Amino acid sequence: MDMSTDNLDIMQFFVSMLIVGIGVALLATGMFTSYFGAGKSQKIGFALLATGTILLALTYLMAFGGIDAIPNEFDENFFADAFVSGVSALFGMIVGLFVILFVLMKVDTVDDLEDLDLEDLEDLDLDEELKKLEEELNQTEDKEDEPVVDEKKEEE
Amino acid sequence: MDLVISMSLVGAMISMLGMGLLIAYYGSSKTRNVGFGFLVIGAAIAYYITLPDTFADISFWNSMLAFIGGMVGGIIGIIIFLVAIIKS
Repeated sequence: MDMSTDNLDIMQFFVSMLIVGIGVALLATGMFTSYFGAGKSQKIGFALLATGTILLALTYLMAFGGIDAIPNEFDENFFADAFVSGVSALFGMIVGLFVILFVLMKVDTVDDLEDLDLEDLEDLDLDEELKKLEEELNQTEDKEDEPVVDEKKEEE
Repeated sequence: MDLVISMSLVGAMISMLGMGLLIAYYGSSKTRNVGFGFLVIGAAIAYYITLPDTFADISFWNSMLAFIGGMVGGIIGIIIFLVAIIKS
């Protein structure tokens, strides 16, 4: 396995995808913020949207050309390879997550509930418990009212 | 085509290792066993990818560079968004 970093093309692969990543993130967050935001947030959303679009357009022009004023910094073929590899990795991650979700949903995790003692819950009489709670509440309210009455008597 | 397959495997490997770690740590009984299974699958994919005869040539590492660049770019973009929203 060739682990040397001498032949790695950081400018063509890393930098190009770094700018694309920033552009896509700004575009996506800008779309959401401009749509769901209000007032100042909406304006920020439009600014993010515009910045993302400009970044992506500039990267495209730097890779595939079209305007003479913008230099071709990225090689067309390398850029396409880098983009395909990034999209493929994202696709693989999504597929992996779906597989995990599928397996987790298929695995019977109800056994974990066996540890719970549900018989205690079945024996509970809810009416009685409610009455007890009400009595306790009434008692605490009576206790809170008593000192106030005493203070009034003292004042008289 | 090699590029697509290798990078798809890398993505699946990252998902398996990441989720496997979380599930194996926080899961209980059966779920935890499934988490360990995911970890083993992730490690197996990693081993297969880095075998000398499969994908591990210079173009693969360049693709990894592109993937890491894209992820870092995405994180920077989200940080820019958060800073813009929080400062306003």
